[in-house]
Amino acid sequence: MTASASARRQRRNALLFLAPAAGVLALIYLGPMLFAFHASFTAWIFTSPGSQDIYVGLENYSDVLISPELWSAVRVTLIYAFVSICCGLTLGTIFALLLDTQFYARSFFRSIMIIPMVITPSVIGIFWKLLYEEDSGVFNTALRGLGLPGFSWLDLAMALPSIILMDVWQTTPFFMLVILAGLQALDRNTIDAAKVDGATSLQLFRYITLPHLVPYMLIATSFRAIAAMGDFDKIWLLTGGGPGDRTTTITIFAYKTGFSAFDIGRTTAIACIFVVIVLVASSPLLLRLFRSALEDRG
Amino acid sequence: MVLTAFRQPVDTLAMRFVFAPTLDGFRTIFVDSNFQLYLQNSLLTAIPTTLAVLLLAAPAAYSLAHLNKRSRLFLGSVLVARMVPGIAILIPLYLAASRAGLLDRRLTLIVVYCAFNLPFAVWLLRGFFREIPNELREAAIVDGCSEFQVFWKIMVPLVGGGLVATSVFVFIGAWNEFLFALALTQSNAATAPLAVIGFRNEYGVQWGAIGAAAVMISTPVVAFAVVMQKYLVRGLTMGAVKG
Repeated sequence: MTASASARRQRRNALLFLAPAAGVLALIYLGPMLFAFHASFTAWIFTSPGSQDIYVGLENYSDVLISPELWSAVRVTLIYAFVSICCGLTLGTIFALLLDTQFYARSFFRSIMIIPMVITPSVIGIFWKLLYEEDSGVFNTALRGLGLPGFSWLDLAMALPSIILMDVWQTTPFFMLVILAGLQALDRNTIDAAKVDGATSLQLFRYITLPHLVPYMLIATSFRAIAAMGDFDKIWLLTGGGPGDRTTTITIFAYKTGFSAFDIGRTTAIACIFVVIVLVASSPLLLRLFRSALEDRG
Repeated sequence: MVLTAFRQPVDTLAMRFVFAPTLDGFRTIFVDSNFQLYLQNSLLTAIPTTLAVLLLAAPAAYSLAHLNKRSRLFLGSVLVARMVPGIAILIPLYLAASRAGLLDRRLTLIVVYCAFNLPFAVWLLRGFFREIPNELREAAIVDGCSEFQVFWKIMVPLVGGGLVATSVFVFIGAWNEFLFALALTQSNAATAPLAVIGFRNEYGVQWGAIGAAAVMISTPVVAFAVVMQKYLVRGLTMGAVKG
């Protein structure tokens, strides 16, 4: 009797403690999502009054889904996220391995490495524009100094690689930090035992270190994937999505549709499609986190 | 090592503009434009956001860690919310704010940033709360503490490090945010990251001013992150590896 009463009280308390956070999440996420879903079925143009009451069924979706712009944006988003993550992961692992060895001023280097990660992305976008300038940009000045011809970093062919390079510069430290933490959790005894057995350092890495790091890499990759797909500020300020639509990611595409054409119906349809893409792409992480959260007990 | 060479764009810039009088940029942003207003807006947005997120997230995280460990619905919604890209809720929020007359107000940004940082904060703090043995809570309950007293007097002081880690992340997130600030503010509530664009459009590109603005915007977060490095790394690995 008392036991069940206290259990009931505990459950009530649990809900009370959760309620404020749940309220804010519902207000800012659930509300707008439902609203967006509803609006995506209307012919709503923000600048023409009354158009929000015209229902067009799935027309926004079919318009958007057959438009080449959407698929170009999906392609750009996926290439951007995929290539940037591959490079960031590789470089991050290399830096982490280097930083894991004991040497003087190690924490200084670690501090330096953190800096790109936290610099305001809009500042990064502006400054990389300066680095990429064709006539007087830092990269081309350096290339000419080496006797090489400079080139246009932000033209049709190079714009996408250039935004990826910028993102790799910014996010490599994130991978490095996570992998460094993984390395520090590695059991030194195993390594010592393998060394005694005569393993080469390449074998050590391949058969002991790398398998140990895989979960860390997976988690870092998944987190970065979600964030990279939504990246906006850096790209917007560096290229504005151009030239043409070469660097127009889904977020930039939706933003342009929403805030220059004011086509609410279409924008919300793009947003809904985007949410589905992100949720599908990140569902392995979602399931993994959810399962581990439910399984372990405190 | 291309990375090392361009690690600090600010320094790189200073090297190129070595002949330009350095203080001109600062004069431009502080005297000729109201950059301090933007900095002030950034501070008055990021700090309340951080405090509010801690206030909302800590009880929720405590509840998930100790009271109702299998609150599927809430855990699931926190995770899904974390995956939703900002652009998806931007348009509805813009429309709602414009209808309610809340555009270009700091309060609007604070509420939005709060919600945006909440999922990660709950997730992070939950990990820290779980490190505190439940026996402590049970002992306090036996001694006659209410659930709220347990939370406030025992748990909160014990997760100090976790609260610091979380606030570092939330502060940096709120300080650096651009998309919502771009869409939801015009001039009164515009934050510092937006100010840099101004120096590009008004009179061509004013690199001196942009450089000065960039220094002013980046220094606080970089300094904060370097000083709090220990917590940052711990929070990151906790969030990353334990989920």
